[in-house]
Amino acid sequence: MTRYNRRSFLKISGIGLAGTYLAACSVGGGDETAAQTALRAAFSQPINDLDPHGPSSVDEASLLAGRLIYDTLIRRNGEELEPAVAQSWEQPDDNTWVFTLRGDVKFHDGTPLTAADVKASLERVKAANTAQSALWATVSSVEASDDTTLTITTERPLGTMLVNLSLMFILPAATMNTEGFFAKPVGSGPFKVESFTPADELALTSVEHWSGKPKLKEVSLPYLPETSSQITALRTGDLDILWPVPPDQLRELEGVEGITLETVPSYVYYFNWFNCGKAPFDDPRVRRAMWQAVDVAGIVKNLFGDGAEVMTSPIPSTAFGHAEQQPYAHDPEAAKRALTEAGLGDGFRTSLMWFSDTGPLADGLAQAMISDWAKIGVTVEAQNVEKAEWLRRLNEKEFDMDLQTNTVTTGDADFTLGRLYDSAADRMGYRNPALDDILRQAHEDSDQARRGDLYAQACKIIWEDAVGIFPAALISTYGLRSTVRNFQPAPSNQPDLRGVTVG
Amino acid sequence: MIGYLVRRLAQAVLLLFGAVTIVFLVLRVIPGDPAALILGSQATAQELAAKRDEMGLSDPLLAQYARHLGEIVRLDFGDSWRLGGDAFAAVLDRLPATITLAGFALLFTLALGFPLGVYAARHKGKLADRAVSYFSLTGQALPAFWVGIMLVLIFSRTLNILPATADGSALALVLPAFTLALPFLGWLARLVRNGTLEELGRDYVRTARSKGLSERVVFNIHVLRNTLTPVITVLGLILGNFIADAVIIEQVFAWPGIGSLMIESIQNRDYAVAEAAIILIAVFYIGLNLVVDLLYFALDPRVTLETV
Repeated sequence: MTRYNRRSFLKISGIGLAGTYLAACSVGGGDETAAQTALRAAFSQPINDLDPHGPSSVDEASLLAGRLIYDTLIRRNGEELEPAVAQSWEQPDDNTWVFTLRGDVKFHDGTPLTAADVKASLERVKAANTAQSALWATVSSVEASDDTTLTITTERPLGTMLVNLSLMFILPAATMNTEGFFAKPVGSGPFKVESFTPADELALTSVEHWSGKPKLKEVSLPYLPETSSQITALRTGDLDILWPVPPDQLRELEGVEGITLETVPSYVYYFNWFNCGKAPFDDPRVRRAMWQAVDVAGIVKNLFGDGAEVMTSPIPSTAFGHAEQQPYAHDPEAAKRALTEAGLGDGFRTSLMWFSDTGPLADGLAQAMISDWAKIGVTVEAQNVEKAEWLRRLNEKEFDMDLQTNTVTTGDADFTLGRLYDSAADRMGYRNPALDDILRQAHEDSDQARRGDLYAQACKIIWEDAVGIFPAALISTYGLRSTVRNFQPAPSNQPDLRGVTVG
Repeated sequence: MIGYLVRRLAQAVLLLFGAVTIVFLVLRVIPGDPAALILGSQATAQELAAKRDEMGLSDPLLAQYARHLGEIVRLDFGDSWRLGGDAFAAVLDRLPATITLAGFALLFTLALGFPLGVYAARHKGKLADRAVSYFSLTGQALPAFWVGIMLVLIFSRTLNILPATADGSALALVLPAFTLALPFLGWLARLVRNGTLEELGRDYVRTARSKGLSERVVFNIHVLRNTLTPVITVLGLILGNFIADAVIIEQVFAWPGIGSLMIESIQNRDYAVAEAAIILIAVFYIGLNLVVDLLYFALDPRVTLETV
């Protein structure tokens, strides 16, 4: 039996009153039979652009859509990298990769996917000059010798070739550059685009895919800008899946009938960088003292609850290359002594910059750290700025301390450690030739075991030199209606919906 | 008449040119640029420089401005880097939501403001009149964003009878449209009240009364019709204000119109969309003002060019 409360009654009568004029504006619910195989899933960020090589190429929201619409040569399955459109591959030498493609992959318009499409896609993303292009900087040539053979040549060895390919979405070479292609793009993934309104809604239907046809017929990904509307929509059943649920909203969903929560440690984490090129943070004793002054465990527990875990390394535990380090104990007295040794016994004044939307509870985290620093005599000016201004200052190293989230988008330490802590990149003024050497070797080596060892050394150096404080890695909570089955929460926030069923 | 029209049109074009110039300058003066937002926090200095060159951001400001003017003349604002398509089309996509909101706010204003004004006039000096007067002053004085947040707290959070944000239902219009209407509702009520009182003191009313017409007929047939003229002319201005004020209201209620699009675009330094949205709002405002001025002629034959 359906129960109507006052609000839904008013809603119904309101719709009736507004009549035909508003019919065009209101959201349709779909018919009953379709509802059994239709899924409405909302990610917390808007899908702005379906061009997987464009400005949004490493946005989680665009990657999420890309995984459903397009194919990649390699696919990530948990910790493993597995074949997708590439059936097998070999490395005749360090700089050459030869991929053999499946011959049975078709784009949604029926044309076959060939090595020429992969070549065109890789060349397009490399030339696009966007955040993903940097991953392909050392690729010197891509050749398609026949429909199923692709050869990629690099200037220097690229150990992250396979993991990078798991982000490289394949477009049809013939049509990808035509005007308006990305309003309703054609891919070869398990779902095809029915309609797309940027930052509003993406509607998909399933197709025959080389990996089998998805159980769901329709998937719709609406964007709801307000957290409270997201929570309400999940509670009323208007949404089937919502993620990530912000840590301070978890109690709104815990124990609610018809809703289950699934969690997985994510690739997203907070760091608080010191500007190591500028006094007083050019002294590692001062940086370590700042870390000791902060009650990291207490703050993470009180602020985030089950929404985050204390970090044990400069990258989250889910990323390849993670190596556990000795935690910094909360010890304000030791911190004060260390400051005295560094000649700063009377404390000092400095500043912390961040922008509120960098991650959940960013303002609270900043304030908590600032009040802990006050206890050792360090006065920190809070500089909560706008995102564009924050980026400008970050790029120009115009900060004392910088609090932000970061995402290990590829799930591999190279994406974060390799790009941020290199002296040449010069992101926060830290220079260490020994670390540069380790990071370069790890970047070029394609032996995963050796890379793991190298990143373990890198983690230790960054941690012990306290280039930054690494407080919290976020845990993604997926809120699901109980009718959703076979759902696997993904640390990348890009769940695979192929096996999911509803009802 | 034709001369007047030409003069007003020329003024409108000049105003638009001013708006385009100011918007261009302000957007470039605020710190941060789209290249950094596109490449994200891990970009290197070389990547940033290359992106700025590609987007024409490293050209001298004057050259960028000249190029921009050339594009605007052709109604081409360029592509949105964030939404991946034509910027003007992105704005037009969001326009219906703003028009709907403004339309409903206008409906509220008329349906409540007009009767309130008439009621106050008929009970001049009494409690009802003073109540309407206080209400309209308060409505005009309260900042819209605060009113919006209070309404959400009361009707959504506490009473749970109205949605706080655009959820696709018709009821979602109520709170934002009312918030948008409130200051103008009070304004209109006072305008109608004063206009009505002024008309009531005129000779024709005395004539009508002296030929034995009932007070009801005098009021409804003769007085009301004459108070309508100023009301209709201010409606255009009110509508123009609604579209401009929607920027704040849409932000408070997460309403997917051009106001919220404009804010998102400015935050993301998506110059093309921000410019297209602001220029469109300016065109609306200037256009409605022009229409209102011309309406004076149409509605009141006593108004001539000499009196303008």
